[in-house]
Amino acid sequence: MPRLLPESCRCVWLLALAWLTVTPVAAEVPEDPFRSPMWDYNLARYLGEGADIRHSDTVVLKAPPFAEDATQVPLTVDLSAFPHAVQEVIAWVDLNPVPHLFTLRPEAADIRTVALNFRIQQASTVRAAVRDDQDAWHIGSVHVEAAGGGCTAPSATASNPDWANSFGQVRGALFSPADGMAGSRLKAQVMHPMDSGMVANIPRFNIESVELRHTASQQRLASMSLSESASENPLFVFDLEHDDAPAGITLLLRDNGGNLTESRLGG
Amino acid sequence: MRQVLLLLGCLMVGNFSAQADAYRYSLEPLEIAPGVWVFEGAREDFARANGGNIVNTAFLITEEGVVVFDTGPSRRYGEQMRKAIEAVTALPITHVFLSHHHPDHVFGNQAFDADILHALEGTIRLLAEQGNDFADNLYRALGDWMRGTEVVLPTQAVTPGRVTIGGREIELIAMSGHSGADLVLLDHTTGVLLAADMVFYQRAPTTPHTPGIDVWREELRTLEALDFRYLVPGHGPVVVGTAPFEQMHDYLAWLDDTLRSAAGAGMTASEVMALPIPERFDEIAVARHELMRSVVHLYGRYELEALELISEGG
Repeated sequence: MPRLLPESCRCVWLLALAWLTVTPVAAEVPEDPFRSPMWDYNLARYLGEGADIRHSDTVVLKAPPFAEDATQVPLTVDLSAFPHAVQEVIAWVDLNPVPHLFTLRPEAADIRTVALNFRIQQASTVRAAVRDDQDAWHIGSVHVEAAGGGCTAPSATASNPDWANSFGQVRGALFSPADGMAGSRLKAQVMHPMDSGMVANIPRFNIESVELRHTASQQRLASMSLSESASENPLFVFDLEHDDAPAGITLLLRDNGGNLTESRLGG
Repeated sequence: MRQVLLLLGCLMVGNFSAQADAYRYSLEPLEIAPGVWVFEGAREDFARANGGNIVNTAFLITEEGVVVFDTGPSRRYGEQMRKAIEAVTALPITHVFLSHHHPDHVFGNQAFDADILHALEGTIRLLAEQGNDFADNLYRALGDWMRGTEVVLPTQAVTPGRVTIGGREIELIAMSGHSGADLVLLDHTTGVLLAADMVFYQRAPTTPHTPGIDVWREELRTLEALDFRYLVPGHGPVVVGTAPFEQMHDYLAWLDDTLRSAAGAGMTASEVMALPIPERFDEIAVARHELMRSVVHLYGRYELEALELISEGG
């Protein structure tokens, strides 16, 4: 068959083939089906320039289509159908003043579900980007309608004069994870105002880092960083798949005021 | 030239009346019992297509005047409601009772004399606290339907109990299950129960300010035991009998059980929003929408019940 092609034509084919194999696939950023004005900007900001990016319907964001309460919008990132190992999950709310919600890095545990409520300042697309073991990013998106104001609304907790009494309280329990996965589902809620710093005369005061450790071995199962888009009194859900029988998990929370809370579940 | 101007004039007039029609609720009262009239709204959520007319309002004609029950979602609604009442009777409006502080029930207040606006004390307080936020939301959802609408606080605090107004035997009942302060009106003269949002029928109940489903259900049992013939729910069709109570108990019990068992299984809020709704609720309008809202309003309480204190804090 190649015999039938003239020499010059064959050269062009070879050149094209060479170009395809040499050029990194990552160069092209796919179009945003939601046409968010912050698409390119936030991709570059959170994933880096030139990152390898694609949309994926295996990164499933479960959020209501409208924000009933702009200060508490539920989000569940469901990665049960994600076909690769999960290296990192970054979630953000496109049009929030500080879009970043969380960055999650699974370590000794595989994480297939993560849930956390967010604030929304105006109707916006919400994203979760998942990095696989080839360093490619897979993006899931969902749009949430909102009257807005979630980031600049004062804390409901701090307006209660007794808030300091419950500050730092953690409630939690272990459950079975979704879809018969091995391991455990951890749910924990902490009383914390999570002030965004965007309300007059109230400086930023929020939990910045979350760690999950295997209680007996102190081996780190996962770590997470949080930003201003996270709601007050945050409630975390993680489905953890790990080899060790869940003999007990330690949850460590640290805020920017230096408060460290350590609590234990199970075991 | 004159003809052209005339034509232009006609076009403008035609256009003007079309615009005015665009914001007409076409309110037509229905007399459900002697002297008791109801305006029935759509079984929908707030939308520009319905202008917020998703609510039932009512009026009762007494020997001395008119008693109005709720004023609708906007100034335009209140004004049009008043016109529709004046087309039925020349008697003056002597009382306006407001069932609770939610915007679809009280934003027509401007059409009535503030001195005759009656509500429970709790309703007046809640409307003062939340009224402006409601207005912001409704302006956004309904646009020009809301033009000129402002919050007007009731001036008369209702004392629950029996009163005689213009020969009518009226009982004012204070409840709290739906919004924290809910006024129900029973007209003993005709056996009409104006239940307002304590009762929804064929339209899913809304839960943003309920003190708890258990409180609501307990109060429903009290209401159900009253001596009434006609039931006017806050949303949904007027009926003879108690069918709406059966549906309310069925729906609220299902919601309560669903939230409790979901919390017991450790489900996330988003997962609960997507749970199946039983087929028997197919006839209930906007059920999925209200389930999503109720999860935001209520699920957190159920979740906390299913967790243990693992760090004291403080």
